[in-house]
Amino acid sequence: MVGRKTMELWVGLFVAAGILALAMLAFKVGNLTSADVINGYRVTARFDNVGGLKIKAAVTMAGVRIGRVTGISFDDKTYQALVTMDIDGRFKNIPKDSSANILTSGLLGDQYIGIEPGGEETYLKDGDSIIRTQSALVLEQLIGQVLFNKSAQSAPSK
Amino acid sequence: MNTLRALGGIVINSVERLGRASLFLYEVLLGSWELIRRFYLVVQQVYAVGVLTLLIILVSGLFVGMVLGLQGYNTLVKFGSANSLGLLVALSLVRELGPVVTALLFAGRAGSALTAEIGLMKATEQIAGMEMMAVNPITRIIAPRFLGGVIAMPLLAALFSAIGVLGGHLVGVGLLGVDAGAFWSQMQNGVDFRDDILNGVVKSVVFGVVCTWIAVFEGYDAVPTSEGVASATNRTVVYSSLAVLGLDFILTALTLGEV
Amino acid sequence: MNQPRSGAQDGDNLVDIRDVRLSLGGRQILKGITFSIPRGKVTAIMGGSGSGKTTLLNLFGGRLKPDAGQVIVDGQSVPDLKTKELYELRKRMALLFQTGALFTDLSVFENVAFPIREHTRLSEPILRKVVLMKLETVGLRGARQLMPSELSGGMARRVALARAIVMEPMMIMYDEPFTGLDPISKGVIAKLIRELNQSLGITSIVVSHDVPETCSISDYAYLVGDGRIIGQGTPAEVQQSKSEYVRQFMDGLPEGPVPYQYPAGDYVQDLLQGTA
Repeated sequence: MVGRKTMELWVGLFVAAGILALAMLAFKVGNLTSADVINGYRVTARFDNVGGLKIKAAVTMAGVRIGRVTGISFDDKTYQALVTMDIDGRFKNIPKDSSANILTSGLLGDQYIGIEPGGEETYLKDGDSIIRTQSALVLEQLIGQVLFNKSAQSAPSK
Repeated sequence: MNTLRALGGIVINSVERLGRASLFLYEVLLGSWELIRRFYLVVQQVYAVGVLTLLIILVSGLFVGMVLGLQGYNTLVKFGSANSLGLLVALSLVRELGPVVTALLFAGRAGSALTAEIGLMKATEQIAGMEMMAVNPITRIIAPRFLGGVIAMPLLAALFSAIGVLGGHLVGVGLLGVDAGAFWSQMQNGVDFRDDILNGVVKSVVFGVVCTWIAVFEGYDAVPTSEGVASATNRTVVYSSLAVLGLDFILTALTLGEV
Repeated sequence: MNQPRSGAQDGDNLVDIRDVRLSLGGRQILKGITFSIPRGKVTAIMGGSGSGKTTLLNLFGGRLKPDAGQVIVDGQSVPDLKTKELYELRKRMALLFQTGALFTDLSVFENVAFPIREHTRLSEPILRKVVLMKLETVGLRGARQLMPSELSGGMARRVALARAIVMEPMMIMYDEPFTGLDPISKGVIAKLIRELNQSLGITSIVVSHDVPETCSISDYAYLVGDGRIIGQGTPAEVQQSKSEYVRQFMDGLPEGPVPYQYPAGDYVQDLLQGTA
């Protein structure tokens, strides 16, 4: 048996270390600091094809994360995908005519939305939608195109 | 016919034990209320259950993290995405290995000790003696141990995961030359606080309740002889392990199903 | 034979047992037993192993409920008490277990202090005085820092006795207090039981199968066998009894009303059969 004081000290150390570990998991391993969009506003965009885009994917501008995708649904009138995203309230000056592109990080990485700024003086606000969009590059289509071009090039030389 | 009868007997027996265990849990929870005034008893058990299990948890966590780093690197490097090593290590640890391996180690180290301790108290009439001294053994003996286990488990699991990530970092960045910046940034981009980390914490709390419940119940319900205590200890480890793995599947399915 | 002929006048009995029947695990342990225990005396309950002596103590303490009959302790019907009332009653009685049942993770001092800490809010200096006084009573004041594992069997039982009297109960039940002790320790325990009874006026119930020690300290003795009272009286009367049961038990005869053989079928038939 250890003394009461020693034991309390150990338990104190143990609990402190445990909480510290939780904090490390939350801030250093996880993205508690950057994940939550503060005072976000909601913007929608329509894409012909979202590819492998998932909810909670990043929304970036110039490679910096400014928000996250909050919803993906299918609109059966236009046959398009309707993507809702929350943009951080700190970034209010995004031109209305900006374009949203679905990009891939690396060859096989996760897909995310990159926003290219436009030139208008009015800015996106809550409930607006981004008109100009570019769909995801689907790998199969890309390969198909390359093969098609190849055969188109090689056919005349025969 | 006899086999059928025996099978039926086993089923009825198990259901009856489950009922007894549930009533027991109810009593323990009632008893836990009274411990608010005597929290020192719980602190004592956090020491016995948590601090004394700490070393095995830390060492195992470090090695599991290092192995993940090594295995993960060898797989990822084939796809040219060795930079995702941090993500792989962190997700495996936080979502699965942290809570599950901690619970399994906990059942083997602390759970069996709890069962043996309570079973021996019963065998040496300490529990009966306490009852005759007008002291409720559930409040005085069982509830502090139960709360101690429930408090200790999430902390142990968090420590396991944290040190595991450091172990993965040690191997991945230190030994195999993965870029430290990529290691951490990929991890932070991919690990979600709510979906991954809180999910892991919820798992470890559930495992804490279940493992400690099984351990104290088996001890309290043990046949008060040395064979009785031995087989109760055995049951604690087996049932806890099965419960942890089964519940892990259910909890994982629940959380993944939502997305 | 089952007439309640107790050693004291009616109304001065601390415990009254009337026609109690009890089965445990399908076996009938008590088959309608009636007796009473006078206040302030040392009463012995003697009987062979498995005769239901310890079961009786569990009935007094409310750890078992009878199938039929009455168990009355200090005017209260024990089986009808609610948990809280039962605990209040138990605070005024003590049971000394065969093994002592000391808490193995607490020192001798803390073991004796345990009931005080649980039931009262005495300040630490007063608590220390009370505990040391009780330890002095059993002659183990010097052993206060030892752990139970460091005690001999006799010492452990004395510590348990100190713990039993620390709340100054109205009655103490001794479950086989002499079993497994050397003659000196037996003498010490016997002396303590007698002294505690005299100095504190505690009603004492000694359950034992050690005939000489038990007879030497008790005022009145009951003999239990086959779930019934089979003999009673002062120790001298019991030792003079002509009853076959009593004689067999007191003299330790292998054959008598209590058969040597466990009930079995025909011996020859049994040997000739192939299966168990």
